[in-house]
Amino acid sequence: MSEKNRDGKRSARERMQDERAAQQAKAARRKKLLVIGTVLVVIGAGVGIGIAVQNNRSAPSTPTAAPAGAIGDKKLIIPDGPANAPSTLTVYEDPRCPACGGFEHQFSATIDQLQDQGKLYGNYHIVSFIDRHDSGHGSKNGANALACAQDAGYFRAYHDVLYKNQPDETVDTWKDKSQLIALAKQVPGLDTPAFENCVNSQHFKSWVSAVEQDFDKTGYTSTPTVLLNGKSIYPKNGNDEISPDNLVKWVDEANQGKPLGTTGSASASPAPTSTAAGAVPPN
Amino acid sequence: MVEAVAVGSMRRVVDGPAAEWLSTVVRLALAVVWAWAGLAKISDPAVAAQAVRAYRILPEGLVKPVGYGLPFLELALALLLLVGLGVRIVAVISVVLLLTFIAGISSAWARGISIDCGCFGGGGAVAKSQTQYGQEILRDCGFLLLALWLVYRPRSKASVDAWLAL
Repeated sequence: MSEKNRDGKRSARERMQDERAAQQAKAARRKKLLVIGTVLVVIGAGVGIGIAVQNNRSAPSTPTAAPAGAIGDKKLIIPDGPANAPSTLTVYEDPRCPACGGFEHQFSATIDQLQDQGKLYGNYHIVSFIDRHDSGHGSKNGANALACAQDAGYFRAYHDVLYKNQPDETVDTWKDKSQLIALAKQVPGLDTPAFENCVNSQHFKSWVSAVEQDFDKTGYTSTPTVLLNGKSIYPKNGNDEISPDNLVKWVDEANQGKPLGTTGSASASPAPTSTAAGAVPPN
Repeated sequence: MVEAVAVGSMRRVVDGPAAEWLSTVVRLALAVVWAWAGLAKISDPAVAAQAVRAYRILPEGLVKPVGYGLPFLELALALLLLVGLGVRIVAVISVVLLLTFIAGISSAWARGISIDCGCFGGGGAVAKSQTQYGQEILRDCGFLLLALWLVYRPRSKASVDAWLAL
């Protein structure tokens, strides 16, 4: 075997090896790109389909049914008191929120009185976000029951009964709808088959969800959020802490020189009387 | 001498088959984290959207797409990690996502907003006393270490990548 021949053989072998290595590198590169492409397609398709699915699943922000008499462009607000009163009190409340219970305990009599005097128009946003934090159904069931009561014309009375019988925040008593129906018995005339059906079937479920979505977008982060003529007054109005006397004073100040609203039959449903709450019904 | 042994055993951990087993464990752990995070956010789209909205970073138009899409991104990452396909690119995406989360939580903390990070479901406003920003960031940093390990050592046993001889 000559020198020359051996050289030739070796270079041919090397050339083949180089070529094979280059091909392998190319194939590996292609494989890598294919894998990256597959990964991106999986992620992109997953996210795209996911957004579409969730869009479909999410409750509409406009309710399919709203309780009779609800106001606002999507009928998300429950009014209480005379609509032509010179001042408006806007209240965001969650049925399960203990601070709302505290607020109602301290102020419901004063607010009812101001409304009945034609001084104040109550606008209630019944939100239900505590079910998210503490998990459960009490906020949503309670909000739906309040909508049912509004539909039947007994919002104020039932609202007052609910807050008087509010369970602890972490105890989800109202996941049991029969508890909400039992409380309705304290409001004469409210507990009808129509009301029970409305509570049990969550008739205003989409409304409850729409009200909550509306609250989500307001930027208010807690309840109760209380606004007098659009200005926050809870827990403080400027430097002054809210109290029943202060609330009356602020409303009177805001109403100065303005005619009072129409009271009487146009006003809200009556508050439950002590006899209605405790006495045995006549039979 | 001792040092040489130590360095040698370090080498074996980082380069040898032991490293591939370690990467397998890390890969599956990160898959569990993403699957858990994704599944927890899927059940209620409104809650997921509100969790995003509560950071007050994104404009309203992006709140829903991000709130709705994020859990599926997390699930996709979980699935890819579980089967071990494209582990390095998935790990890189995980690192970017975790850094985004850490930045978001830090930003909320710095601005004095009181929210739940919504990392594993929930989210939205909470009382000031209930914020857990420090813990949330530490936890995400732990996950970040897992993801960084996989960027460094993506090869692992029982993966599609290994089967494809990548």
